[in-house]
Amino acid sequence: MNDNAWIIAIAASIGAAIPIALAAVGAILHERSGVLNLGVEGMMLIGAMAAFLAADAWGNVWLALVCGVLAGGALGLLHGVITISLRANQIVTGLALVIFGTGLAKFLGEPVNGLKRPVKIDPLEVAGLGDLPILGPVLFAQDVLVYASIALVVAVSLYIYRSRAGLALRAVGESPAAADAQGIAVSRVRYVHVLAGGLLAGAGGAYQALARAPSWNQEYTINGLGWIALTLVVFSNWRPGRALIGAVVFGFALRSQFTFQTEGIDFPPQVWLQMAPYLLTILVLIVTSSPGARRRLGAPAALGVPYSRDER
Amino acid sequence: MIVVRLERRVATPRWIGVAVPVASVFAALVLAGVFFVLTDRPPLTVYSEMFDAAFGDVQGVKNTLVSATPLVFTGLAAAFAMRMGLYNIGGEGQLYAGAIAAAGAALLWTADLSTPIAIAVVFVAGAVGGMAWMLVPALARALLGTSEIVTTLMMVLVADVVLDYLISGSTSYWRDPLTIGFPQGKEIPDAAQFTRWFDARITVALPIAIVTAAIVWFVRNRTSFGYGQDVIGDAPHAARYAGISERRTVLVTLLVSGALAGMAGAAEIGGRIYKLEPSSLRLGLGFTGIVIAALARSNALGVLVAAFFLGGLRNAGQSVQAVADLDLPKSVALMLEGFILLCFLGGQVFSTHRLRIVRREPARRARASAGASS
Repeated sequence: MNDNAWIIAIAASIGAAIPIALAAVGAILHERSGVLNLGVEGMMLIGAMAAFLAADAWGNVWLALVCGVLAGGALGLLHGVITISLRANQIVTGLALVIFGTGLAKFLGEPVNGLKRPVKIDPLEVAGLGDLPILGPVLFAQDVLVYASIALVVAVSLYIYRSRAGLALRAVGESPAAADAQGIAVSRVRYVHVLAGGLLAGAGGAYQALARAPSWNQEYTINGLGWIALTLVVFSNWRPGRALIGAVVFGFALRSQFTFQTEGIDFPPQVWLQMAPYLLTILVLIVTSSPGARRRLGAPAALGVPYSRDER
Repeated sequence: MIVVRLERRVATPRWIGVAVPVASVFAALVLAGVFFVLTDRPPLTVYSEMFDAAFGDVQGVKNTLVSATPLVFTGLAAAFAMRMGLYNIGGEGQLYAGAIAAAGAALLWTADLSTPIAIAVVFVAGAVGGMAWMLVPALARALLGTSEIVTTLMMVLVADVVLDYLISGSTSYWRDPLTIGFPQGKEIPDAAQFTRWFDARITVALPIAIVTAAIVWFVRNRTSFGYGQDVIGDAPHAARYAGISERRTVLVTLLVSGALAGMAGAAEIGGRIYKLEPSSLRLGLGFTGIVIAALARSNALGVLVAAFFLGGLRNAGQSVQAVADLDLPKSVALMLEGFILLCFLGGQVFSTHRLRIVRREPARRARASAGASS
């Protein structure tokens, strides 16, 4: 067996993990505030489309990235207005956002469908360390967003578990009424984190369009990455660090099919490898559904429940 | 200081029930109009072309009915569960599973059958397929309390993989061994291909959809099972005292919901596609069904109306591509659907609440802010 092929596969699976990791960490922040986010797929598509259109128009990759992030954020904000201020059903609104995001992205992306990506995010070599055996290509020859994303995951973890604002966030997600009584502005906390969720999903979509997909394809550029990100949120029990590790594992599962094929290995069969993340997530959910386990591991208690003072 | 706040309506005037949906659709058309203007297309022309295509003449209405048929089944599937507070997000996956089962059963058994029996085989197989796909989420929810929202969603992603595997990833029973190049599904026997009526693709699936809606309405509103669903949905404690088995009701409700979505797959196979064809099945019919249930407020007869409306929108999206000077992509229907849904969902609150603009006086600030919830 060719060792090199596996090193390339591992290095590539880190790249493949970044869009889903970014979106998943965003969705974790979003859902930790108690607002269910089924709209990730739509936010990623809008982010990817905005980034591609901006890249096409101005040719600047960083400006394009910013546009993608902001477009995702706009959709997040829309989600906030409808579910927080207007108190609509979070589940249905999330699915409506997927339909909306997909429809709008395809409508606006139609003129550039099939077009080659005009600019891309290039990998950089960290001080010549890229030539190191094994570790070089895996750790030191990625692009700047890979490093930024890893730093972001650490920062978000610290924020959730070690900061005052993070404590307020968890309080709002577990028991908005109690948080409210403590003087925490529930709606404001929710708005901020729903917005963050949108921005990060937009970033994930933009990264996919600018660093991974060689051209814009209406059907395939994002196709399902948002759902995988949602899977990760549950799989990681709403923990950013685990979500990143899970993203690399999922990325490897997605990417390694090709390596298994080229290496002529037929085990495990592709179809099982593709289904594994989802089946595992179902298993995790079933195993953690005892009341005790749910308290220790599970979703924020108030997830999916709109909060309004006068209708407690 | 002036504050805008939402206040629960004491009484809901009758005109609100009409005004809110109409205003929502109007708002959606205005907002979507911005994007038409941005892309140099006159919005009013787009809308009148789309309306004509969907509802303007007999042929348009026929095509709208064709598009609406599977949506009735997926809408009913979501509505049947939603009325008691259960969310079957996996209609899309159950539809694929129903299509796989319906196509498989048709290929296996219907070659020598008479038409009515073949139709029954296709629909029963579809229902069983959809129900089977719901089995694990339903059991987990009923016995362990595992949220059905995520498990049903995961099953959609699994179904998606299986669908591709059966046609392009393996030499399965469903795949046509004779096709060269791009892999395709095997065509089902003639007996299982529903007859087309009225020079359109209207088939027996449409009356079956309508009758199914009537049955669902009857079960929900006129049987003790439907009453039990209501009690569990509204007051689980009361249900326990009344001796209504929550476990059994949840299990049956979710399995029936899965079966209904599976019937959508059967309708698509027998009435439109005639073979297992992943790209023709992936239209988001299952996801749209959830939205239809929300638009219809989970009422089975409302589902018929909402499905007709959204079917018209989908049909218009198909037809309007042919209008050369507008140069509209097919996705225009999906985009409009998105705008309408979001406006409708956002507008819902105004049927139970009203906006009040209050002038907040400094001395009463503490109390006033205690009342403002958003």
